[in-house]
Amino acid sequence: MKSILVISKREVTRLRSRFRGKSRIVVLAVVVLSVVISYMVSQQGFVLSKDFYAVGVSPDSGVTADERFNVITLDPVDGRMMLDEESIDIYLGGDRTEYRSDQRSQYAAGALRQYLEKRELIRIANEYDIDKAFPLRIEVNHLKAPEGDVGTGALVSLWDVMEYAETSTAPATMPEATVTSNTVVMQQLDKFRGDSRLPEFKAEFASDKEIIIPSLMSPPIPLAQVIIAFCYVVPIFFVSIFFTSSFMEEKINRKLNILLSTPVTPFQIIMGKMLPYIVYSVIITIVITLLLKGNVLLALAIFIPITLFILSIYLTVALLYRTFKDQTFFSLLAVSVITVYLIYPSMFSGVSDLSSISPLNLAVQMYKGETFGLAEYFLATTPMYLVFSLSMLVGVRVFNEEYLMGFRPLYSKLGEAIYLAIDKNHLHLSVFFLSILVIPVVFMVQLASIVIAFNLPMPFALLALLVIAVIVEEVAKSAGIAVLLQKGVIKSLKDVLILSFIAALGFFLGEKLLLYIAMSVISESMFTAAIFGTGLLVFPLIAHFVFTSIVCLMTARFGVKLYPVAILTGSVVHALYNLYVIGVIP
Amino acid sequence: MSRFFIMIKRELKSLTKEKTIVLAIIIQLFLASFSSVIVVGLMSFCDPASIGQNTRIAVDVGIVGDTHSRLTGFLGERNLRVTVFADAATAEKAFYYGHVDTVLLVPKSNTGVVNMKLILPELDSKATVILMVLQEPLKMYETYLREMNGIEVNYTNLQGKPPTTYEFLYSLIVPILMLFPALLAGSIVIDTVSEEIENKTLDTLRSAPVSFNEILAAKIFAAVVVVFVQCFTWTMLLRLNSVYIQNLGLVLLFCVMIGTFISFGAAIIALCFKDRERSQFVYSIALIITTGLSYLLNPSPFNLIARLATGDHYTGIHHLTVYLIPLMLLGVIFFIWSEKLISAKSIN
Repeated sequence: MKSILVISKREVTRLRSRFRGKSRIVVLAVVVLSVVISYMVSQQGFVLSKDFYAVGVSPDSGVTADERFNVITLDPVDGRMMLDEESIDIYLGGDRTEYRSDQRSQYAAGALRQYLEKRELIRIANEYDIDKAFPLRIEVNHLKAPEGDVGTGALVSLWDVMEYAETSTAPATMPEATVTSNTVVMQQLDKFRGDSRLPEFKAEFASDKEIIIPSLMSPPIPLAQVIIAFCYVVPIFFVSIFFTSSFMEEKINRKLNILLSTPVTPFQIIMGKMLPYIVYSVIITIVITLLLKGNVLLALAIFIPITLFILSIYLTVALLYRTFKDQTFFSLLAVSVITVYLIYPSMFSGVSDLSSISPLNLAVQMYKGETFGLAEYFLATTPMYLVFSLSMLVGVRVFNEEYLMGFRPLYSKLGEAIYLAIDKNHLHLSVFFLSILVIPVVFMVQLASIVIAFNLPMPFALLALLVIAVIVEEVAKSAGIAVLLQKGVIKSLKDVLILSFIAALGFFLGEKLLLYIAMSVISESMFTAAIFGTGLLVFPLIAHFVFTSIVCLMTARFGVKLYPVAILTGSVVHALYNLYVIGVIP
Repeated sequence: MSRFFIMIKRELKSLTKEKTIVLAIIIQLFLASFSSVIVVGLMSFCDPASIGQNTRIAVDVGIVGDTHSRLTGFLGERNLRVTVFADAATAEKAFYYGHVDTVLLVPKSNTGVVNMKLILPELDSKATVILMVLQEPLKMYETYLREMNGIEVNYTNLQGKPPTTYEFLYSLIVPILMLFPALLAGSIVIDTVSEEIENKTLDTLRSAPVSFNEILAAKIFAAVVVVFVQCFTWTMLLRLNSVYIQNLGLVLLFCVMIGTFISFGAAIIALCFKDRERSQFVYSIALIITTGLSYLLNPSPFNLIARLATGDHYTGIHHLTVYLIPLMLLGVIFFIWSEKLISAKSIN
């Protein structure tokens, strides 16, 4: 522990020395400037589609005050002519509008419709009685399906109350429901009048007993998620530049040799370098949570795994890159992977159950004031811890001068990392745990492939997804064994078969464990079903074993050079099996 | 001049050799897909009209109470399946057995304010979709009730297409895709410059018969070539997804201009700080500042790309010339000061 602290102190000193004297002033000035400008811009209001549509208006139809419109006042004759020339997209003359049938003009009409609808609503609200202007109010009631066969009678009693209210009130007085909903209309109208085009962020669309007015109802947009993600995750991203650079500097200055010759372990070095950044992230988390008035302990429980996860991804970047440009691109790749894994699913919070795999979703729920169970917590955070342990394990194993300073192709660097990670005295155990630890990585790649496959039309998207998922799984299971074969650690076919079985077993157990947790949280998602395969127990294990041994035996027989071919063969068999299970192949 | 091209070739080679460019493209493909997922999946939620039209979600609506109101007709027009229930008990049963997704309790009296009750399932995601699909017919009914009250609502027949996705695509996704290569170019310039400084290869290079400005110009030029290639590839990819970029030449020219501007700035930062770590940090913050400031311009770079790409009649080459001034200014400053900056000590 003491050595870790010593190294942490050294890291902080290193960082301090970077920003001393004049450079500290420059950097501080730049940071302050960025804050000031961000504030100024946010005060400006945010309109992206400025002057997007060219709208011609007749002199009498009133000014169209919407940032999206480039308004040109024209008389009807000119308006029609310019509409035909396509120099305006739509013409508004009095109560009438004219537009063309092409895309642009159609969209302009849609945009004008949004604007005019709003203008009309405000006019009506100003000119008429609220009872007449907003004559329809709807109370939302969420009903839970009962456990047994019989209904709870909740709907019936709702109806009875409603009917009673209607019949019992004398026609002269206003029904109680109308009185309460009148105040709601006033509130919503105030918001409606005041707002810019951005809908307010509401985590839930309509809560129980909420009264909605159809024309004043604004849909939920996942802004809250994005804002939470930005507040918490972006400050952690910034740290990455310093964290990864720290290793680069040691490499360039050859200080690593000196460090490694002292009696500190690689674990202590890595932990020591990471610690200041973990502390920084924890402080950031606490500060932001206090600012947003959240629950600090809960926020820490959610964001510490996220911090560890992000830092462990950056540790991999730091261990793998060879040049400066590598560092930039790997970091960018890391940012995209993290974004996709954390932010993308949480965007669907409250819309799709896929969101439960992102821990950010827990934060969203926390701020919504909802509770979540332990199963949900573990489903979201276990992969984070697993990725962290995997990268720490590999990091500690590969932390030697030869590996870190060597310049060779990426795949060979990865292979070497796997080789170094495997404990040659406990081959079986190593292969087993490697298989389990690699599952979150497989899952992340598969999730990313969902995002990419989304570009394709539907049947192709599913097919591509299936193929990628299968290849990734086969590589994950067999990579360790292939490396061992390449290094000549295992030779006999019997060993290959045994290890194949162990790798398959490890992967199988880990997968099913994750599936088990997921099942208790996620109820319906076609994609997760496609990825996890189907539920049966013994048969999939045998299947996994068969695919892995195909790959490994082929690699043993034809050499590591043909490893891609072996992977392809195993994957084809695997894909056929999956198609059979899903029922595409009879 | 041929020396200059040799230098450019050297830079481009180092980019392709390390397969880093492949990574760059994967990253951007990621970014694009990520954004398109958001467009399709989420923006449709912001647009009740488009969720009704673009997606074929079958919602079964049960109605109790006044079943002869115009509402039933409006629901039918929107292709919702309507089931009429004689009493609340049967409706409740049907709801629990899953025969209907939602139930509307419609009061029988039709005078004054209509206070309905809507029964939604507990599950958040499903409830959201149902509510979105119901909004349009409910609005139609609201308009109808207003007319009954003697209020005339104008422009109800104006249809058009829901513009949210279109606006989002052209004003956010396309500019992000087009400007991302420029940001990357700045990073690349910082890397190549600070790498030469930190590894002390710059001194060797300077002993060769090329001027220092030629070396820097070659680095910047190579980065800008990469910007152009990437942007062009993007437009082709977008075309495959039937997103068409109008004024293609101008859009590409503008991206190259922005790429050059950012590269000059990045090179100045790298020459000042002389190490990658601080340069990249200052560069990323400087980018935030520039992006913020550029938003105050009219048209801002985002907006200009959006308007060019949609083929706005009033946007053209004259808007680009405005951007040419700061670009040339920065370029001149850069080439005059480069020698001074490199010989000066790094900022400490």
